Amino acid sequence: MIENATIRAIESELSRLDSDGMEPGECARRTRVLTHVAWVPRRWEEAALAVLGGLGDRHPSRTIVLFPDPEEQRDALDAEVSVERFGYGRGEPAIASEVICIWLRGPRAKAPASVVQPLLVSDLPAFLRWRGELEPGSPELDQLVAVVDRLVVDGGEWDDPAATYGRLGELFERVAISDIAWSRLLPWRRAVARLWPDIAEAQRLEVGGPEAEALLLCGWLRGRLGHEVALHREDREQLERVEVDGLAARPVGAEPLSPVELLSAELELFGRDRIYEEAVRSLP
Amino acid sequence: MTDVTTEAAENPLLAGLTLRRIPEPCVISIFGASGDLTKRKLIPALYALAANGYLPEQIAIVGVARTPSSDAEFRETMRAAVEEHGREPFRTDVWESLEAGMRYVATDFTAEGGEQPLVEVLNELDETSGTLGNRIYYLAIPPGIIEPTVVQIGEHRSTGGWTRLIVEKPFGRDAASARELNQLLTQHFDESEIYRIDHYLGKETVQNMLVLRFGNGIFEPIWNRLMVDHVQITVGESLGIEGRAGFYEQAGAIRDIFQNHLLQLVALTAMEPPIDFTSESVRNEKVKVLRSIHTPAPIEVVRGQYGPGFVEGEEVPGYRQEEGVSPDSLTETYVAAKLHVDNWRWADTPFYIRTGKRQPRRETTIAIQFKRAPHPPFEIDHADALRPNVLLIHIQPDEGISLTMSAKAPGHGMTIRPVHMDFWYGGAFRSGLPEAYERLILDCMLGDPTLFTRADEVEEQWGLVDAVAAAWKRERPVFPNYAAGTWGPAAADELLHRDGRSWRRH
Repeated sequence: MIENATIRAIESELSRLDSDGMEPGECARRTRVLTHVAWVPRRWEEAALAVLGGLGDRHPSRTIVLFPDPEEQRDALDAEVSVERFGYGRGEPAIASEVICIWLRGPRAKAPASVVQPLLVSDLPAFLRWRGELEPGSPELDQLVAVVDRLVVDGGEWDDPAATYGRLGELFERVAISDIAWSRLLPWRRAVARLWPDIAEAQRLEVGGPEAEALLLCGWLRGRLGHEVALHREDREQLERVEVDGLAARPVGAEPLSPVELLSAELELFGRDRIYEEAVRSLP
Repeated sequence: MTDVTTEAAENPLLAGLTLRRIPEPCVISIFGASGDLTKRKLIPALYALAANGYLPEQIAIVGVARTPSSDAEFRETMRAAVEEHGREPFRTDVWESLEAGMRYVATDFTAEGGEQPLVEVLNELDETSGTLGNRIYYLAIPPGIIEPTVVQIGEHRSTGGWTRLIVEKPFGRDAASARELNQLLTQHFDESEIYRIDHYLGKETVQNMLVLRFGNGIFEPIWNRLMVDHVQITVGESLGIEGRAGFYEQAGAIRDIFQNHLLQLVALTAMEPPIDFTSESVRNEKVKVLRSIHTPAPIEVVRGQYGPGFVEGEEVPGYRQEEGVSPDSLTETYVAAKLHVDNWRWADTPFYIRTGKRQPRRETTIAIQFKRAPHPPFEIDHADALRPNVLLIHIQPDEGISLTMSAKAPGHGMTIRPVHMDFWYGGAFRSGLPEAYERLILDCMLGDPTLFTRADEVEEQWGLVDAVAAAWKRERPVFPNYAAGTWGPAAADELLHRDGRSWRRH
């Protein structure tokens, strides 16, 4: 842990670690494809770190994990810097993935973009994974959205998805958005699409599953079909059942993706998802 | 691609869901099911597609071969093959869903009525598995039985659904036989139903060649005779013939690798930008390149055959000592050539290409060597220090791209050293690279022939090979002329030295 860290100290530690343990003239390959910024309030620390643990092997990147700690008395940054190396097969050189964990103590939690900006890898896309409740209009979110290309959220992490989706549209013109709840719906949307054209005039959607997914599915149908569709939901921890006008949708193919795989897939996307935006704007 | 757009226009729910198209239900009949290709590549590829959710629910696989066997034995053998050769971890649930539609038909298509057992099984599968009469016939069989097989399939094709035919190489052994085969195929199938497979085109890095060239603004403006000095393409194999003497004695390096893989790599390197990425646009541009290559003079082609030597420290026999090879064989295991692509872009820019067995290592690369800096203002310590830039595309192994450029070595003098700037495919995209056969089988199921070879491409390729082979008939080579574990005969080095160039250093 580097206490009272500065950006310069973080960069020095990165340089040291990059060559640590290497023979002279040898280096791990540092192909980078993105900067991944994660905003992780205390409640989400454990889950976030579990996902990050599986990401480095998939996306050689610089990951900057921000832990806001606004209640702390000190006005300081504490940091931990690590370089993970992953072999990709017998006899092949390792690749390196950099992870920078920064605790934003006291007032520093109010200015996260100023901490992130000097650490972004230039000319590569930057993704912000915002953990937990999203507050459009909050200074921290506004600042970070301004310095990244894509915001990744999970509607399933919100206490009141209907209300938050209601305000999410404010961000659409400012940043491309990925929603992991929307990604979880992908096999179900495919299954519903296969019911076409029998559901062209559908009036009723029944869902056994979480609220965020149910809302998005309903918004998607309303947006795509161009008319009202009534939503009836039974609460379930995971999406288990979808029926459109009594016709059951049955996803096929691979197993549901893990949290690591879901986030990993989002980090490969660029540009706006207009269908998602339409779904959010058409929520019941 | 057009199909997706049309479907999406008709079904608004498909918008945004087009990233992954699931093929329509179908039966894949693999002819040559008892062969090595089926076990090592085809079934593991189908398993990987199933494991990643790319296959439809209604899919059936029928193994067809003369070897007597049963459904149960075939399933058991294929399960073992997937466990041994699959790139995905074995999952019982995936396998069980795949093997449920797996059948085996022991029959001989050259015999009277030999097609009937297969016809019956396919009709039965349409009923029981919901495959709708959609059929893919994968011909992984020797050339001698292609004709009766194609005729029988053609005469008993399904009346409902679509039919597609995947034809493995060798696709003929010269231009005349290739034309004959094309005529045979087109008597029974439309060209759009014929998928001539060259697995090199399914490799990610080969496809990345198109992205490198046409997805980056900086390369295309310098990809021409004005900036490029020459191009070198190498397909080197450290292995020998691995027990395939029967095939290799007839084919040699020119028919095994040069005619297909090497010429396809030349075409992809030299082609003009297609107007879009549809199959016809891409293949039209490739054919134009093949037509622009004029026949190399005899002095511009070198053939070789390996003698005994050492590969990776192991002593290995010469070609003539391999089992099944004639002790005075004149089959070439090495070919190098200087090709001229006579068009506006490449006039006077040679393409040096080579392929060989028992090379020091396995390597497929395309090296674009640019012209030297015209007037370096430095006093340099060695004339050779200021080398030309080379853009090296590694097709296999270590897929990636590297650029060699000059940099000043630290110190007081102006010492210049070449350095590499590397992009390593596996280091940037950590998801495993799909096997070429996965991509190609899936493309065929989806009806996309972009990465398959069209009839006119094949005929152009054979035309070039025929011209070279005709010149070879006039002289008797002195074989062996290179030792196993070396980069080929001295004459191949001379081929470049005459032009003041050399093969790039490995």
